[in-house]
Amino acid sequence: MTHADTDAREEHGRDAAQLSDAVHPDAEHADPFGDVGAFLGERSRAFYVDKFRQIGRKPNFAVTFNWTAAILGPFWWSARQLFGIALIFWVLELNILARLAHGLFGDLGAEQAARAEQLMERSAERAAEAARALAAGEDGADRMAQSAENLAKVATEAAAEAERLAAEAPQLVVISLVLLALVKGIQLVAANWILEDKYMKWRARRSSDAIIRLPTVLMTGGLIAVTYLVTALSRVTSQPPPWLFNFPADPEWRNISSTAIDDLFDWITARGGLVFDGIITAINGVVGMLEAFLSGTPWPVIVALIVVLAWRTAGFRTAIFTAAALFYLGLLGFWEKSLATVALLGTAALTSIVLGIPIGIWCARNARVYAIIRPVLDFMQTMPAFVYLIPVIALFGIGKPPAVIATLSFGMPPVIRLTALGLKSVPEDVREAAMAFGATQLTVLLKVDLPMAAPSILTGINQTILMSLGMVVIASLIGAEGLGQDVLQALQFAATGYGILSGLAILFCAMILDRIVQGRISKD
Amino acid sequence: MNRNAPPRDADAEAVISLNSVWKVFGARSEEAMAAIQKENLTKPEVLARFNCVVGIADVSFSIRRGEIFCIMGLSGSGKSTLVRHINRLIEPTAGSITLLGRDVMALSGREVRELRANRMGMVFQHMALMPHRSVRDNVTFPLEVQKKPKSERWAISQRTLAMVNLEGYEDHMPAQLSGGMRQRVGIARALASRPDILLMDEPFSALDPLIRRQLQDQFLALSRRLNQTTVFITHDLDEAIRLGDRIAIMKDGRIVQIGTAEDIVSNPADDYIAAFVNDISTLSILHAEGVMEPLEKLELPAGTDMASLPCVAPDCPLDQLVALAAETENPIIVSDETGKTIGVVTRTALLNAIGGRNAPTNGSANKEAPV
Repeated sequence: MTHADTDAREEHGRDAAQLSDAVHPDAEHADPFGDVGAFLGERSRAFYVDKFRQIGRKPNFAVTFNWTAAILGPFWWSARQLFGIALIFWVLELNILARLAHGLFGDLGAEQAARAEQLMERSAERAAEAARALAAGEDGADRMAQSAENLAKVATEAAAEAERLAAEAPQLVVISLVLLALVKGIQLVAANWILEDKYMKWRARRSSDAIIRLPTVLMTGGLIAVTYLVTALSRVTSQPPPWLFNFPADPEWRNISSTAIDDLFDWITARGGLVFDGIITAINGVVGMLEAFLSGTPWPVIVALIVVLAWRTAGFRTAIFTAAALFYLGLLGFWEKSLATVALLGTAALTSIVLGIPIGIWCARNARVYAIIRPVLDFMQTMPAFVYLIPVIALFGIGKPPAVIATLSFGMPPVIRLTALGLKSVPEDVREAAMAFGATQLTVLLKVDLPMAAPSILTGINQTILMSLGMVVIASLIGAEGLGQDVLQALQFAATGYGILSGLAILFCAMILDRIVQGRISKD
Repeated sequence: MNRNAPPRDADAEAVISLNSVWKVFGARSEEAMAAIQKENLTKPEVLARFNCVVGIADVSFSIRRGEIFCIMGLSGSGKSTLVRHINRLIEPTAGSITLLGRDVMALSGREVRELRANRMGMVFQHMALMPHRSVRDNVTFPLEVQKKPKSERWAISQRTLAMVNLEGYEDHMPAQLSGGMRQRVGIARALASRPDILLMDEPFSALDPLIRRQLQDQFLALSRRLNQTTVFITHDLDEAIRLGDRIAIMKDGRIVQIGTAEDIVSNPADDYIAAFVNDISTLSILHAEGVMEPLEKLELPAGTDMASLPCVAPDCPLDQLVALAAETENPIIVSDETGKTIGVVTRTALLNAIGGRNAPTNGSANKEAPV
């Protein structure tokens, strides 16, 4: 027999002991609510032990009442650190109370009544004028009388409206009260039940801290009280102070900030001119090389090359699709522009991969580096694509190089992320095994980490290519040649048919690249 | 197992020896270590004061060439951490480790890697095979690290796989093999560079009992043939008894007792070990030597003389003694190879031994003091 069996026997013994407890659920030593006092304070212990017992006896929901919770509402919930629930009831109660205040003190018909009064006055004035004119025998006296009469009619209507609105007030009050009762009722019966759940979780966490803490109570309670007061203030008068509704903004602040950023960019371009020129030259070189290669090769050669590549990596069906898509590009006259797009995209994707994989490896190996890089990646991916163009233009002007850089900054995050993810998910024991047989860090990286992370890295590359392609239209805004330009033109001249055809051309380019890289992944 | 035969390579040099090795995990491990040595802190105290975990506490042992040394303990007892100190996958916080006469702690990174590649093999609980490499490429990984040419690697992989009865599986991928086969690949990989030392970290724990038994037998046969020094980690006392020439029992990072299976079963050092040993059947572990009493205890019944009493060798197992005792009323004489009478097994002693009560004799002779 092994020790495992010994353990099992002991386990069995314990089970048996628990079984005998279960027969007397109220036995003192089996009390599951022993530390309710520690959780909620000794003063409310007896109350909650009783309620929790009631809840425990029912298989589903047990109706128990908690008047304190119902009366205090969000104050009660937040004091017990049930902030989510507190928030819901806070919003509900605030809304209902505001309506109630509006109905009770808002003087609902006041505006209309004032208008009616004003109109009445004007009508009286007019009538007086008419009477005077009539007495003087002037022309238009009857016109004036007519006008006075009309005014009087409108005034009566306004008065009626004011009355109607004022009459609505009690209705509003009644509806608000009913809603309030409903919300309070929900809190009345749900409070103990939710608190019991919280208590069970508290027990499982094995925390010994009481749930009600004075600083939390003061802070959340104060916050809720202030919002109640401000809302009430804005609703009890018919003319609330305007500063409650207008955020204190000053256009000068924005001007100062944007000027400062302008100055910064000016300073950078002035100082770093050489660096930016170098980058521009390098990118131009790569794009030019790719373009020269692509446009210098006869189209049948390129078509054959891509179709064979698709066939070898992704199979026969993909090869047929690829051929069809390529002929679509060629026959509709998108060939040249596709090549320009591919050259641009190729430069961006290649740079993304060449820079992204080492950064990804670094991130996987160094938690601190990843902690710094991750928010940068989030930023790069969340920033709307158009906004990229602004600093890029400021630093690099317009043309192909800034287009490549804008595409690059959008497309690089996935390859970094997925390389890091892939390397991190290599099982630690396999790496350890390699090291136990004398492998160096480099050998582990090359023979264990990278091969095992390959599917993840390839997925990253695929994503990078597709995201870069997504930037093609936007990049054409700053002068990148290619398929994006056609879409942009179609957009400007509302050329529906032409726009759709060029859009399809971009889609086909994306699908060919995607299928080929995907085929490579599934082969691994 | 030939544990009762004279030890192989009698008086052989210690291949592995650890001297007062400590491992403290945590950011302030150095500080904690100094405090432990000065103030003799307990584990919880170290955790409370330095937020450090004591993984290994003051472990010393030495292992002879050819010996199978089992380290047995429950999960969390530090046995896997300990075995990783031997090839320095984990650096000790204090203490010294000597391997094949060399101080491991003094070696450079390159020398440690050479030592790992040429002199040591390791087998892992979850096999840790590389899923993207064929069985052959897995087995020859240690040779690849040593930059051996491909032809040599192929020949060795064939030979090594034959040793674990996996000929013909060279070109399979690990995912195509069963658990037991995968672990045999793991063993073949550890044996590929003909290492002097084999480190086995719970190699059979993840396998089902039948396969485990089968691999234990294969491993024993192989080990006897290759005369390798093996450190074998297990959480299963039965396995430790089956395989180990000596067994070290660990608890909370300390070694509680080191000894042969017989020592441990008949003289557990404390209640913790006694609880383990409780369920172990003594019949196949104890021998005449372990239950015999000094000759003075012999009270010859009237009318019998010494020569007529049944006589056994010192390594006669308990179950045979029981069979003999069933045939005769008389005590049984134990004599060594030269025919010299060295002790006597009385009925009382025999029944006590079967009942699990300690024989009152020489069992503690070669027990090392608990740390």
